[in-house]
Amino acid sequence: MNVWLIATTVLLVGLLPCLWVAMRGTIMSALAALELASTITTLALLMIAQGLRRDPFMDLALVSAILSFAGALTFVRFLERWV
Amino acid sequence: MSVGDVAVAVLLALGVASALMGALGLVASRNPYDQLHFTGPATVIGPVAIAAAVLVEEPLSSAGIKAVLVALIMVATGPILLHATARAARIRERGRWVVLPAELKTEEGPSKSSRP
Repeated sequence: MNVWLIATTVLLVGLLPCLWVAMRGTIMSALAALELASTITTLALLMIAQGLRRDPFMDLALVSAILSFAGALTFVRFLERWV
Repeated sequence: MSVGDVAVAVLLALGVASALMGALGLVASRNPYDQLHFTGPATVIGPVAIAAAVLVEEPLSSAGIKAVLVALIMVATGPILLHATARAARIRERGRWVVLPAELKTEEGPSKSSRP
């Protein structure tokens, strides 16, 4: 267990407040929580790849960064217009 | 423990702390606009600090380049997403994005009347 994996473990604790707000808050608060949770997940994937010394795993963080942006924008469009 | 290891630990602590502060702020505030503000540091300081930590440990490797790419994407897309979300929140709340003159008058009214 190196410093990267320890930092990842601490970082993942930050998902719990996001989960709480996503469950209990209004729909826009839940969207803000989803955005923060996707940021934390991307950072965790990056740190896990570096902690395990697996360079190809960095691609997961890259894909997560791009897709979480696209996914959140889709939610934004629906919440702005229809739902 | 070399200087590089200390630098990696400090940068990681900075990145993790910015994300955790954002998560705590998200719980502490009730307004969606305030909550969106708290997601800002996590999407800017966090990726930059962690990419810098990867670069300190492995300069000029494929991992370093990919980490910088992830940080660039997150720094570029974070503010766009934040603005789009705030816009959607306002349109849901008021039914429009533009600010009407009457709206400005009602919001500025109390502050003007309190002046001597």
